[in-house]
Amino acid sequence: MFGLNKIIPFEPNINFLGLRRNFLIFSILAILISICLISIKGLNLGIDFKGGTLIEVSTKNTSIGELREILSSSYSDVSLQEFGDENIILIRLQNKSNQESIETVNSVKNLIQDKVVEFRRSEFVGPTISSELLYRGFQAVSFALIAILIYIWLRFEWQFGFGAVVALTHDVLFTLGLLSILNVEFSLATIAAILTIAGYSINDTVVIFDRVRENLRKYKKLDLVELFNLSINNTLSRTIMTSLTTLLALVSLFIFGGEVIRPFALTMIIGVIIGTYSSVFIAVPTLLIFKFRPQDEND
Amino acid sequence: MKNYPIWKSFTVISLVLLGIIFAIPSIIYDENSENWFLKNKINLGLDLQGGSYLLLEVQLDVLYKEELDNFADSIRLISRDKSTKIENISLEENGLIVSFNDNNKIKEIRDSFFQMYRGLFLQINSNKLIIKLNDDYKKNIQDSAIKQSLEIVRKRIDETGTKEPLIQRSGKKRILLQLPGVKDPERIKDLLGKTAKLTFHIVDDENTSALQNNLAPFGKIIVSDMYDINIKYLLDKKSAVGGENLIDAKGSFDQTEGHAVSFRFDTEGAQKFGKVTTNNVGKRMAVILDGVVITAPRINSAITGGSGIITGDFDAQEAADLAVLLRSGALPAPLEIVEERSVGAGLGADSIAAGQIAAIIGMVLVCIFMILIYGAFGALANVSLIVNLFIIISLLGTIGATLTLPGIAGIVLTIGMAVDANVLIFERIKEESLKQTKVFQIVKNGFDRAMSTILDANITTLIAAVLLFAFGSGPIRGFSITLSLGVIASMFTALMLTNFLVYMYLSFANKKELKL
Repeated sequence: MFGLNKIIPFEPNINFLGLRRNFLIFSILAILISICLISIKGLNLGIDFKGGTLIEVSTKNTSIGELREILSSSYSDVSLQEFGDENIILIRLQNKSNQESIETVNSVKNLIQDKVVEFRRSEFVGPTISSELLYRGFQAVSFALIAILIYIWLRFEWQFGFGAVVALTHDVLFTLGLLSILNVEFSLATIAAILTIAGYSINDTVVIFDRVRENLRKYKKLDLVELFNLSINNTLSRTIMTSLTTLLALVSLFIFGGEVIRPFALTMIIGVIIGTYSSVFIAVPTLLIFKFRPQDEND
Repeated sequence: MKNYPIWKSFTVISLVLLGIIFAIPSIIYDENSENWFLKNKINLGLDLQGGSYLLLEVQLDVLYKEELDNFADSIRLISRDKSTKIENISLEENGLIVSFNDNNKIKEIRDSFFQMYRGLFLQINSNKLIIKLNDDYKKNIQDSAIKQSLEIVRKRIDETGTKEPLIQRSGKKRILLQLPGVKDPERIKDLLGKTAKLTFHIVDDENTSALQNNLAPFGKIIVSDMYDINIKYLLDKKSAVGGENLIDAKGSFDQTEGHAVSFRFDTEGAQKFGKVTTNNVGKRMAVILDGVVITAPRINSAITGGSGIITGDFDAQEAADLAVLLRSGALPAPLEIVEERSVGAGLGADSIAAGQIAAIIGMVLVCIFMILIYGAFGALANVSLIVNLFIIISLLGTIGATLTLPGIAGIVLTIGMAVDANVLIFERIKEESLKQTKVFQIVKNGFDRAMSTILDANITTLIAAVLLFAFGSGPIRGFSITLSLGVIASMFTALMLTNFLVYMYLSFANKKELKL
């Protein structure tokens, strides 16, 4: 049997917990910065949550500047953007009311009719709908987090549940912070991505916790720090393998999946990396707060 | 084949075959096939096949206000009967406050009014009668308005020739439309944006002072012209006949009048129309559509045949659309478009192509990686991965789920995550191989030990996917469906198919030792 896995040390023995203070400080800083960014700079809300109109057109022999000139004479709040290809242009407009938007789409279409080969897509989200969508997205994320926690609670001891909450909150905030810096559009698909990241990160955490629990039973005398290190090392190659295959698929989606899906793929890539990091460096060290064994108190 | 039960091999092989066979309809994708088997293909969402999604909201406030206006008219009539003067009628958000000059007969007025409209909240406060629309009353108005609106919307959409539209109520006061393959969403929005309430009224050309003061006397209304809002007409408030009596309307062309709409009344409408035109020869008759006068021709002679034409400044399309609106009837209240997502066929096709490329490349990368790391075992996991993809496709096709662009993303993501279960198993096998030398025992222990971890890990992902389905809308639901199916299929392929393949491989290769 061949396989590169023989090149990776078979029984890695890395002292992950030895570095826990450094990583803890790093993560706390990252979270604080993320919270500041989210509250000050904010997220780049797409029309799903902000409301407004979006029209995607493909053009021929027309520059984006030309279109901008035509439209900005009629609309002050119009913004145009090339969308993956110089012939494909995304037009965004803010609308005040539902009625206005219908007229806007019609008149925009009339204004640029002769420059456009195809109207590829037009979306309009009214003000009531956008706030409903935001609310439902928030609900979905909260309920998912709660449901996942209840599951962990049922399957493990409550201390593990605590570790999982800390790691999940960390992942969600950190990802949102990066989305804010990178100005990635925040849409319904982003909510889907964040939920999937939550599921993925927990998945990673659960695998390591599973091993911690097994080792707690197996090595009754082993020092907790060593036991946690051992558990992380036991599952390390799986953690790396799964993250890599998932990232391979996501990078392929990011590069080849088309412009519309790109923000989703990017969010997932960020989330998978953060989720993997947090399972090892945040979730497990959190367990040290708890005394799993009475005799540890004498140490 | 050592210790591998026949029934287990049989189950695995038949499930895999079923998975592959039922993926065929979606892979061939013959759109018009009537064959029972080929019909089990994936439904493409609007974002992939092109089409329009519209969410309409019934403007109930307009209806409530209309109802309150009716109440006000009834109160005026009743109080005139009881010879009591009304001082003031004020329109509140949810009701009316009627103040009378004296409160002698206020109870009688209340009782007569109550005879006409039961179920309202009525209250007397010295000389004031307070009328309120309570929640039950409103709910009745709301339900019947939605029901009627749905019917009218359906008729109008049918007139446009859209194939397989989905039209359904959504929540309390909304209507959801999915219109596959619609090329001109603007025309549909135009058609749905009009209430199309048509009425015929006799014009009062004698009372010129009313128009000058812009103050309509009791029983009359002032309405402006469709093409020039400065032109006003004083009309009888009560319509002579309305659009509900129409049985047909068609766009027509007249040498002198240009494009017009010809219409025909039912028997009742024809009688009413005949009577009014007979009694009002020489006067003008205004045709009102959605609160504006389209035209107001003079009645030269009684029209008893029950048909006529409406002329206006129409072009052919406008006349045809007006005919559609009149044929399908008036909406009880205006509809407002609160959300629209229209995708052209070009973008849909591009998305499918891009999704396919991303899936194939992702798959190839993951497969290469697995072989690099795990060698022969990696190749076995790859067989499982490919079967996994077939199973997702066949499940999507047979349960009639809709594949959307985020759904494709879910499939690509699953490709990356599906090998996880295999990896968990292989890593366990690797550990077990250090402890003992019996090949089949190592494999058995590896699978058994990995089982609970695989279940725990996948159930958390499933929880997230299910909640996403519950709270998500349209395309996002497509993502949660493919993700859930992918997760379930990956558990099956890892725990059963990979298991089977590993046993087969070890039996045939006659391995005496296992080093992973």
